[in-house]
Amino acid sequence: MNDVVTLAHGAGGRQTAELIDTVFKAHFANPQFTGDDAAVLPVGDARLAFTTDGFIVSPSEFPGGNIGKLSICGTVNDLACMGAQPLYLSCAFVIEEGFPLAKVEEYAAAMEKTAAEAGVRIVAGDTKVAGKGQVDNLFITTTGIGRIIDGVHTSGTQAKPGDAVIVTGDIGRHGCTILLARNEFGIDADVTSDCAPLWGTVRAMLDVTKDIHVIRDATRGGVGTVLYEIAGQSQVGIRLNSQAIPVDSSVRGVCGMLGLEPLYLACEGRLVVFAPKDKAQALVDTLRKGPYSQQAAIIGEVTAEQPGRVVVQTEIGAETLLPPPGGELLPRIC
Amino acid sequence: MEMKKKRTALEIIQQYDGPPIRIMEVCGTHTHEIFRLGIRQILPPQIELISGPGCPVCVTPVDFIDEALWLALHKGVTICTFGDLVRVPGSAMSLAGARSQGAHIEVVYAPLDAVTYAQTHCEEEVVFLSVGFETTTPASCLAVKKAQSEKVTNFSILTANKTMPQAYEALKGSADAFLYPGHVEAVMGTSHCEALVQEGVSGVVAGFTAKELLTALAVILVKFPQGKPFFKNCYPRVVTETGSQAGQQLMAEVMEPCDSQWRGLGMIKQSGMQLRLSYAAYDARKKYDVPSMHGHANPACRCGDVLQGKCKPSDCPVFAKGCTPEHPVGACMVSHEGACSAYYQYGGMLHE
Repeated sequence: MNDVVTLAHGAGGRQTAELIDTVFKAHFANPQFTGDDAAVLPVGDARLAFTTDGFIVSPSEFPGGNIGKLSICGTVNDLACMGAQPLYLSCAFVIEEGFPLAKVEEYAAAMEKTAAEAGVRIVAGDTKVAGKGQVDNLFITTTGIGRIIDGVHTSGTQAKPGDAVIVTGDIGRHGCTILLARNEFGIDADVTSDCAPLWGTVRAMLDVTKDIHVIRDATRGGVGTVLYEIAGQSQVGIRLNSQAIPVDSSVRGVCGMLGLEPLYLACEGRLVVFAPKDKAQALVDTLRKGPYSQQAAIIGEVTAEQPGRVVVQTEIGAETLLPPPGGELLPRIC
Repeated sequence: MEMKKKRTALEIIQQYDGPPIRIMEVCGTHTHEIFRLGIRQILPPQIELISGPGCPVCVTPVDFIDEALWLALHKGVTICTFGDLVRVPGSAMSLAGARSQGAHIEVVYAPLDAVTYAQTHCEEEVVFLSVGFETTTPASCLAVKKAQSEKVTNFSILTANKTMPQAYEALKGSADAFLYPGHVEAVMGTSHCEALVQEGVSGVVAGFTAKELLTALAVILVKFPQGKPFFKNCYPRVVTETGSQAGQQLMAEVMEPCDSQWRGLGMIKQSGMQLRLSYAAYDARKKYDVPSMHGHANPACRCGDVLQGKCKPSDCPVFAKGCTPEHPVGACMVSHEGACSAYYQYGGMLHE
């Protein structure tokens, strides 16, 4: 047993889950402690969604966004996954001594713009400065609260055999963008992060049907990690059609060169949605009209067989196991 | 048209009714793609696919890791290496283990990055772990030439570079036909494959997409029952008869053939590459007078048998028990191109 925290503990995969289960859950357990993207809190007649997220992405600017925009999207999207309209955010900054003020302003402006688009107000905050070298540039933590739309009950435990599995766009762009932005591979490719606030996307789906079983934000561990989480939490199997999974050709090319699986690359503007099969096409048709979900697609289905496993139908008609998530793919992507 | 051709290859494979055949792929990327696509599952029972020694990390012997450990721990040099090698167990520990004891291990993505590291860390002595086949060896040669032309004196390389043709001959009893690695042949050209036919070694050069792999397998299955040794280049859009002249010249200028130890296969004559005498200043073995190592792998690990196709990964007593991708016992579990890793991650567990 490793007795120190490793980067794998922060990668959003199995080791992260182990850390949460063995340490945090053991100490914090209570009826509202959540296994989803946000906790659901009954307050009077309303149900509120409540969540928090820290951002340490390196580099802090990348094609398609920066850490400021990301810090709003991440928390807004976690609320949206519970079917909650995001209402209020707080933000806490930890800034490294010597970091340019102009950059702080630039990131704050990005936060303002993204918050306005998502319809949330930033109402409280905290500012700390750490000595040179004690943090890297700037870290942001945002906390958000939202009101869950009546009649919506999404949860990772609700996937049912017969559900269709939908992704709301092409996958892996954020992870691929960050990988290239670090410039360690000497690869140039035209890839932009998918970082986007998705409440509008969720709202549009809920206007089609409130009978959506699971919505989850495919961040750190990518779509593959989300699928394994849901397969475990709902005790169902998932069968993917490998040819239906939308992947940008540049992302596919980079993955080919570096031996990476796009299903395990992070997204910051993509949702994985489980909904009854008879609603799936209407959802996809609606999604394709939205600004951040034009590549939405049905990528698979939920089965009663092989609970806990994700099986892929490959392009030659064979079935393989999607390798389960594990280890750090890439640290500090969000 | 293309769809029709693809179906035909698949049909040839699925309807194969010839004699039993063992086909060995000798490229880690092929191993990975064969598992990812589930190709084994569509094969008739008399076709056996064997994952051969095609992953450079997997064939690197324990002795080499021990040499690197000695340099890191006893000489205090900074080791620059591809990431996969960090977790390969040596006799006593892996380089990751040495790092936790204070050894300085830097992961790089290309040999030239190690030269750059040496240039920007003048106070450190830097050794790059030069593993790989004909695909990566030119990059190591380029790094040495750059270090020489820019007078970087704190840089050297520890060579374990290997060449494939001698391995095919050594393995010819283990397989009836080889899937030759498209990337290696792109550098070396196909003339040596033609020569292997004279030695009774059959094979085809394969690309890396589903269509290319199926086509290559189908060609083998058509030619094998005819009973004569054969060769065909099934990856002509990339691989030519002469290969990359620039790459070959660079290797010939900087390195020369030597005998080489392969994990599992033992010593194969003239299957390695070492620096020529004119580049001795960049040869870490000479620079630090590295003692010869006589390391030993974990005796329970059967990586050597796996690499020769003598057993399946799941036949190994430590597979998926003591040996997992997170805690590898043997090299074949370390690299994602290793047979044990692919077997662990993909279909191996699906129908159990």
